[in-house]
Amino acid sequence: MSFKLFVSAAALVGAAAVAGAVIAAPVDGAATFAENCAACHQPQGQGVTGAFPKLAASVVVQGDPANLGWILTHGRGGMPNFSEDMSDDQIAAVLTYIRSSWGNAAGPVDAALVKAQRGAPKPVDTGAGLPFH
Amino acid sequence: MFTDIDGLSRRAFLERLSAAGGTALLMTGMSALGFGIASAAVAPPVMSGGKGKKVIVLGTGVAGLTSAYELTNAGYDVTVLEARDRVGGRSWTAKKGTKLTELGGEAEVCDFEEGQYINPGPWRIPYFHRGYLHYAKKFGVPLELLNNDNDRSYINYEKGTGPLAGKPIRKVEVAADMRGYAAEMLAKQVKQGALDAQFTAGDKELFLDYLKSEGYLEGADLKYLGAEGRSPLVNPGAGLDPGPGVESKPYAMTDILHSNTWKVLRSISNLDQQRTMFQPVGGMHELPKGFVRNMKPIIKLQHVVEKISQTPGSITVAYTDEKGAKGSITADFCVCTIPLSVLRTIEIDASPKFKEAIGGVSYALVGKIGIQMKSRFWEDNHQIYGGHIYVDDPLISTISLPSTGWLGQKGVVLGFYPHGAAAARLSGMSLADRKAYALAAGKKVFPEYADSAEGSFSMFWHRTPFNMGGWAEWTEESRAKYYPTLLEPEGRLYLAGEHLSYLTGWQEGGIESAWQQIAKLHTRAMAA
Ligand SMILES: Cc1cc2nc3c(=O)[nH]c(=O)nc-3n(C[C@H](O)[C@H](O)[C@H](O)COP(=O)(O)OP(=O)(O)OC[C@H]3O[C@@H](n4cnc5c(N)ncnc54)[C@H](O)[C@@H]3O)c2cc1C
Repeated sequence: MSFKLFVSAAALVGAAAVAGAVIAAPVDGAATFAENCAACHQPQGQGVTGAFPKLAASVVVQGDPANLGWILTHGRGGMPNFSEDMSDDQIAAVLTYIRSSWGNAAGPVDAALVKAQRGAPKPVDTGAGLPFH
Repeated sequence: MFTDIDGLSRRAFLERLSAAGGTALLMTGMSALGFGIASAAVAPPVMSGGKGKKVIVLGTGVAGLTSAYELTNAGYDVTVLEARDRVGGRSWTAKKGTKLTELGGEAEVCDFEEGQYINPGPWRIPYFHRGYLHYAKKFGVPLELLNNDNDRSYINYEKGTGPLAGKPIRKVEVAADMRGYAAEMLAKQVKQGALDAQFTAGDKELFLDYLKSEGYLEGADLKYLGAEGRSPLVNPGAGLDPGPGVESKPYAMTDILHSNTWKVLRSISNLDQQRTMFQPVGGMHELPKGFVRNMKPIIKLQHVVEKISQTPGSITVAYTDEKGAKGSITADFCVCTIPLSVLRTIEIDASPKFKEAIGGVSYALVGKIGIQMKSRFWEDNHQIYGGHIYVDDPLISTISLPSTGWLGQKGVVLGFYPHGAAAARLSGMSLADRKAYALAAGKKVFPEYADSAEGSFSMFWHRTPFNMGGWAEWTEESRAKYYPTLLEPEGRLYLAGEHLSYLTGWQEGGIESAWQQIAKLHTRAMAA
């Protein structure tokens, strides 16, 4: 329990930094993918069987963009919630990138759609930086 | 919590347990079932009469080793299959020569000096983890204290505002000041009678006494002016210089509030993190070694399990060995401690419901880096002996100082311990970039940090074969939907491991889960 508190706090403080970065140049989807996603989904979106879903030639990736926006801002299964770590622009850019790479050919995603998928902001917590496990 | 076990009522189940294993097993069973004798099991099930029935145990983490050890002693004929070339699973220590290649990662060889190590996985043993302590004592694995809360630690929160933001300050200062101010404010209210309705006769004076003592309040107006022991500017000593020493002055309350540093304060730690905290001397691998020293050679390393099939009368496990040769073993029962994150890629004869449950839990993204430092500057220059440095960069999360090798020449510092999205990002970096990131963060707290760094070893569990995740993270939904299914045997297959406990992410969960599952297996074997 304490651990969950800890994560949300860390994520919250992270949000401030992201917000500052947003004003800069247009976001590079490929670079954002390499930074945040490639460790699990692998550099060519090939995934790891049983552990991390393949993004290359994927029906889901080419499917409803709102669904993808929801997954990135809420997390699903083992995938963390990136809502506090990435701006709407970054999430839109990364989704646009994966939808047009590695055998995927689906349309771009814009930041407004991502924003609509975000839930209410998380409450402030008090457990920042406290140890877990 | 449980109403049915194996379709039996709790009471009927306990009666069977006691018939099979006597009082000790009954007690273990009772606490496990939530009868409230203790919050957790304190001893392994007492079992005997296995009569050479064959059991295959999969995995040699603490859950597999506990199962194999206890079942062997109870007279079962046990064979253990382990995919890696070592025992211990997550209970592991990285030291000179330790090798690892993460999935999609570079080959890494630990280049620490002899005697230096980092525990990349488990590192803390809480005092109430009595299963772990039971085996440590039994096998003579020496433990030492792990300093899990150091008053002298720095808090370096960069995301606050005001004069204290982004500046390492001591935890003891923040604790003294925040609690002092809070006590002072409350004491004023109480004295003015604002809270009289809250007190019954005589309480008010006692409560004021408590506030005075808690907050080091002084004088008739109960002011907080600083606390004895709040990080003196000059420590007391001999003669007149330093003589009595020089006390430090409190920070302004508003500065602490806006710095966010108060976030590290809690009246008490949560149970998992309370004193007393232990660690095994020499590293986490010592307990698995203790098991092996006390067991017959029944472990087959580098045997990767690929398939589990069953008939009504037997269970067969197929594997590939270190030479690439395929083989299989057939037995009466199988205890499988392979993490669910890996088990879901293995072919199993099981019902669709059971398979769905195996896929129904997700695993933590998490990792660590150990950095060998050529001097123990945190001790020599900062008088910090163990404990954690608090930072608010989620990619770092925790910097921890070793609770071993005190006052020695070198030491290994835990340079980051991120989780979730932060772990996803850091784990995508090259080994060199991970280290550079850790050093840049540490340097903001300790000027000596980057220049003192020597070798390092980093790893992320979600990218590590045969684990593919740090620990099971059940949600309320998945607990309700899947967890009970996995606690029941599927034919002749029994699952065990940290994932089948409410102590997920702790070795104790693996040990106590093994106790519970083998007790079920034994009851069934005895009834047959
Ligand atoms: C970063 C981190 C920090 C932690 N901190 C703590 C802590 O401070 N204190 C604490 O007590 N716990 C801590 N834990 C949790 C602890 O590590 C686990 O709860 C515990 O070690 C799990 O034991 P286990 O036997 O269930 O699983 P494991 O130790 O994972 O054992 C499973 C075994 O199965 C083997 N296996 C996998 N696939 C196959 C296959 N196909 N064929 C054959 N064998 C296979 C694996 O090689 C492994 O040996 C931490 C964990 C992590 C990741």
